[in-house]
Amino acid sequence: MAEYLAKLRYYPGDPLEEILIDDLKKLEQQYGVTVSYEKIENREMKEGLLMENTLEKHIEEISQEIIIVSGDQRDRIADCIRAIYKKYRCPRTAYSLLGSNEAGQAVAKGLMHLHGGWE
Amino acid sequence: MKVLALNGSVRKNGNSEILLKQALMGAEAEGAEVEILRLTDYKIGPCQGCGLCLFRENVCQVKDDTSEIFTRVAAADGIILGAPCYFLELTAVIKQLIDRCWILSHNKIGKPRKPASVIVPYATRGWIPYIFMQANILFSVMNLTKINQAAVCTQGISEVVLDQDAIDLADRMGREIAEAIKNKDFTYRGEEGICPGCNDWLLRVLRDRETIECPTCGMRGKLRVIDGKVKVEFEERAWEERRFKLDVGYNHFTYHIAPSKDYFLRTKEERKKRTQKYKEYLPT
Repeated sequence: MAEYLAKLRYYPGDPLEEILIDDLKKLEQQYGVTVSYEKIENREMKEGLLMENTLEKHIEEISQEIIIVSGDQRDRIADCIRAIYKKYRCPRTAYSLLGSNEAGQAVAKGLMHLHGGWE
Repeated sequence: MKVLALNGSVRKNGNSEILLKQALMGAEAEGAEVEILRLTDYKIGPCQGCGLCLFRENVCQVKDDTSEIFTRVAAADGIILGAPCYFLELTAVIKQLIDRCWILSHNKIGKPRKPASVIVPYATRGWIPYIFMQANILFSVMNLTKINQAAVCTQGISEVVLDQDAIDLADRMGREIAEAIKNKDFTYRGEEGICPGCNDWLLRVLRDRETIECPTCGMRGKLRVIDGKVKVEFEERAWEERRFKLDVGYNHFTYHIAPSKDYFLRTKEERKKRTQKYKEYLPT
């Protein structure tokens, strides 16, 4: 198991641009870490809007895109996450790092205020 | 056709009230039924931040007069807001009302927008940077479309009656609201601002020192100086992603707020444990 594991949860409308697997592969190669991607889509078109009832669901079940970054070297992990934040902005919510391990969460959280793209 | 004036001034027969009444006279001349409501005559308590209105539709635990204000806004076809600027922004009652508007977030889908204008009497030029920001937020959360805005420099009590230009302007703004309702034309008629969405002049520089944002609607772009004039080149997607657009607002509630219930339940025990020392320290 990698020492650092960060799960970055992006919800609809959050990423600055479309998250493409090819782009993530390039980041993976560039920074020498493991980057994987998961997409959950549960929205339905109603009244002209893509809608979903998220109130009674677990956070992991609602529509979202997750970029998972893992590795054993802190600097590489940090550089990769910084590049992800620069490209897509950082995830926005208090629960957007849920599922990360403690070390990965510390790195991902620490960089949010520096390169979040929100502030 | 009903036009409602919301007065954010506590003063009776003050400049805000005079300008609003003149606007209503204009609207009445165009065939509108009119009504004025002084917000400070109503009890508008602070939002408790309990989230009940978000998690259970149309439920607010604060029992005061706010729901009556919302009912009267809902019954009107157009709104004119008047509020003085005492210290850089509008009066506190406007902010208090904005905070209570979360409950309206459920009711926007499928509802038609209505026209609104704002008129702000103020005393000193250069001390009014945030006046339209607050009006823009209030209008957005109330599902209103701003069609005009005006700031009127006038200092003393009821002094605005001496300024015929201001009186004429208020009258015109009232007529415009009535015409907008009749023609269903909510085109913005006021002075253009640097933000094409808010028509305000506020800008925020992000920490990257590259990105410029309208702090109210969140539209983003790059700052340019062309022929010595500052301009913002907004991103193509900015208009689609502005904060108060229906689907953006829906996503904010659905993905940034509603799932916090699950997070709240998961962290309940740990929070309870860590909160104890703060409960015991300087108990309130």
